[in-house]
Parts: sequence; structure tokens; C-alpha cells
Amino acid sequence: MIYLDSAATSLQKPAAVRYAVAEAMRTMSSPGRGGYESAMLAADTVLDCRSALADLLCVRDLEQVVFTSSATHGLNIAIRSLVKPGDKVVISGYEHNAVWRPLWGIGADIHVAASPLFDPDAAVAAFQRELPGAKAAVCCQVSNVFGYILPVERIAALCRAAGVPLIVDASQGAGSVGLDFENLGCAFAAMPGHKGLLGPQGTGVLLCRSPDVTPLFYGGTGSQSQDAAMPDFLPDRLEPGTHNVPGIAGLLEGVRWLQKRTCAAVLDHERELLAAFSRRLDGVERVRKFIAPDPAVQTGVLSVQIDGLDCEEAARLLAERGVAVRAGLHCAPLAHTTAGTIDEGTVRFSFSPFNTFAEVFDAADSLRDILL
Amino acid sequence: MHYLLTFRSLTYAQRAARVLERAGITGTVSRVPKAAATKGCAYCVIVAARHKETAVSILNMAGFSPERTLLRNADGTVEAEK
Repeated sequence: MIYLDSAATSLQKPAAVRYAVAEAMRTMSSPGRGGYESAMLAADTVLDCRSALADLLCVRDLEQVVFTSSATHGLNIAIRSLVKPGDKVVISGYEHNAVWRPLWGIGADIHVAASPLFDPDAAVAAFQRELPGAKAAVCCQVSNVFGYILPVERIAALCRAAGVPLIVDASQGAGSVGLDFENLGCAFAAMPGHKGLLGPQGTGVLLCRSPDVTPLFYGGTGSQSQDAAMPDFLPDRLEPGTHNVPGIAGLLEGVRWLQKRTCAAVLDHERELLAAFSRRLDGVERVRKFIAPDPAVQTGVLSVQIDGLDCEEAARLLAERGVAVRAGLHCAPLAHTTAGTIDEGTVRFSFSPFNTFAEVFDAADSLRDILL
Repeated sequence: MHYLLTFRSLTYAQRAARVLERAGITGTVSRVPKAAATKGCAYCVIVAARHKETAVSILNMAGFSPERTLLRNADGTVEAEK
């Protein structure tokens, strides 16, 4: 199988990730629940992972690194902490349902700062127009559908100037575009562990600027257990219940791999694969490729539409040929509405640090075969 | 004799122990005895009595001031520092 769906979940991981998961299941119990060896081994692993993430994502204080079960979990915490019913919230035109649905569920007054695809200046201008009166803003770092890198640094600066707390959905950028949480100055940044950070499914990270957060879950933390209230400090305030220690042990190895390889090298590789894939499809007139005029604003994610072929059917035919891709709306109808692809959807090819040029050529040739 | 330096969370206690380790002082992360834990479950870093003053000084400088300092006697009983 040629796996080109890493924007959903990175399937290929460093071998150390699965070894660490297995070893954690064999040797580790739960941090914060005992002083015996297996509990403390688990506690050390969790702290090591927190520390590695703080280094990778430029977080000043590692208590600001909170483990979640997914980016969706983290985004729900962030949104619940900042937004009340009726509050005006500004979001980009490329947000995932992990942002849109929690806001809708709260009853927020959602204002979409819509702007054309691959046009960072227009995105900044749209936020500038919409921000007055907002109680919060949310912006994805990278569109999961198009690989479009939004100008989050510039949008964060606007938010800081306007006194509007910003939530960054770093789901698609963590591990490739990278993130400087300290300098970004956003209130929260959420990301999954199982995509670019190369950890197992069921892991996620929420970076919090302040401990003034609203827990989604309440329960035991192994600290201040005589108080009915949750601890008022991080990470305990947001981490009740037993940690996913095997997942965190695997995530630690994914992050260590990234620290050695560097996010910049990963991004370069994925962009080269995208360019090679795209060139291989040159001359195939039925394929419409969503490629940024400026490669600097696109990651290794390419959406395409195929004239006369339903996107889901294209994905099915590719799967028959051993190529795994995702089709449809990618849980981001807003992004498709903004880009004008809501009616047809797209077929998404997303590349990983472990994909090879041979794989992307084979995948492109498979698509050519389907269209013959 | 040993001293127990208590912290608000396991994470804080672990970080404090690592600060001490880098300074060449052995600190063992452990749970605070029930009788001495004022708010329920808590963690501490245990240091030898001879290192206590230096350890506290290093931790204060590093921003990891202990919440409390407890003395563990040779018979295992724990008392607040006088």
C-alpha cells in the first residue's frame, strides 16, 4: 500500500514509537498514583514527553503543556475556556469541524473571516475587518484540506493588538511548519499526537498560556485530593484520570525523531514530494490541482478535483490500486465553502516524511491509469 | 535524617528533583506521608539532611520553592521543620 493520508493520521512512524508503546505497557503503571517503581517510571516518561514537546514547540514553562486525547479534545477545552453563549468569535474560512461544531454547540456568534485560498494578505485583512468586538478568535495554522499555511503570526499580532485571545489549531502544522508558542502569544494551541508529531492515536497536546482554564472533565489528579475543586494549576487542572502512558511514551519517541530530523527538513521533503507528484500529473487535463502560486504557503498536502469523476469514486479506484487517500469534505465543510469546492469535495493526497519519490510517482501513475 | 520538600504537584516535584540532580544533589521524588499531607495526596522530594540548606537555596533560585519543609526522623516519623 502507498499511504498518502498522513493529514488524517500518520501511519508510518519511527520504529522507536511502537517499541516505546509496547515497553510502556509492559513496565509502566500510572503517574501520580503511587511512589513505586512502575508509577515513577511512568511519571518520568510523561515528564520527558512534556519537556520534549516544550522544546519542540518553544513553550517557556512545561506546565503549560497539557496532554489530551486529541486535538479535538484540546480545542473543546480552549473554546469552553474563552467563549460563552452569544459571544462574537472570529474564525478563519478554513476551520475544521473540531472548531466549528464546539462554537456552534455553545451558541457563539460565529463570524467567518473568509479569504481566498493561498492569499495570506487577504486572510490578515479579513481578520482585521472582523476582530472589533470579538471575545475570541480561532485560526488553523494549516488548512487540512489544501495544505494552505495561514499567516497565524500576523493574525496573532492583530489579536494581541485588539486584546482578543487567539486559539491556534496547529493540527496540520505541528511536526512540519513548527510552532513558536512563546513568541506567537496566542492563548491556546491545540494539536493531535497522531499526525505530524508521529505518536499513536489517542494522544493530543494543548498548550495553555494561563492556568485560568475551564476543565471539560473533573476527577482525580493525584494532587490536592481533599479539595472538591479541581487544582488551580496546570497541568493537573486539565489532566484528571489516568494518563494514556503508552500513547505518551510513543509520542515521546515521535517527538525525539522530529528533534533529530528537524521540522524544517520534514517540510522540505513533503514539499518536494508534492512538487514531484504534481509534475507527474502535468498534462492530465481532467485533474484540477489546488497548488499555491507561492510554494512557501503550502505544506505537503494537495487536493485535486477530477472532471467527470466523483471524488469518492476516485478514492475508491485508487484504493483498489493500493493507494490510500481521503476524499470528500475532510470534516471541513467551511474550508470547502471558502474555496468553492463544497459541492464536489476533493481528493486529498497528503505526504509524510516516510513517503518516497517512487511511491508518489506510482500514485500519480495510478491516477493517470484511472483516467485513461 | 532526611528532609521532605513538598510541592503542589507531581510535575513540580519531578522538575525540582531534576534541578537538584543537575546541581549534583540526589533528590528522590516520593509521596508525602498521609499524616503530613494537608490537602490530600501530594508529592515531595527527599534530600539528605546535610544537603537541605543548599537544596532549598538552589530550588528557590530556580523558581521551584517548596511549599513546606518536613523533617523525617530516624524512626520514620515526620514533623514540620522547627
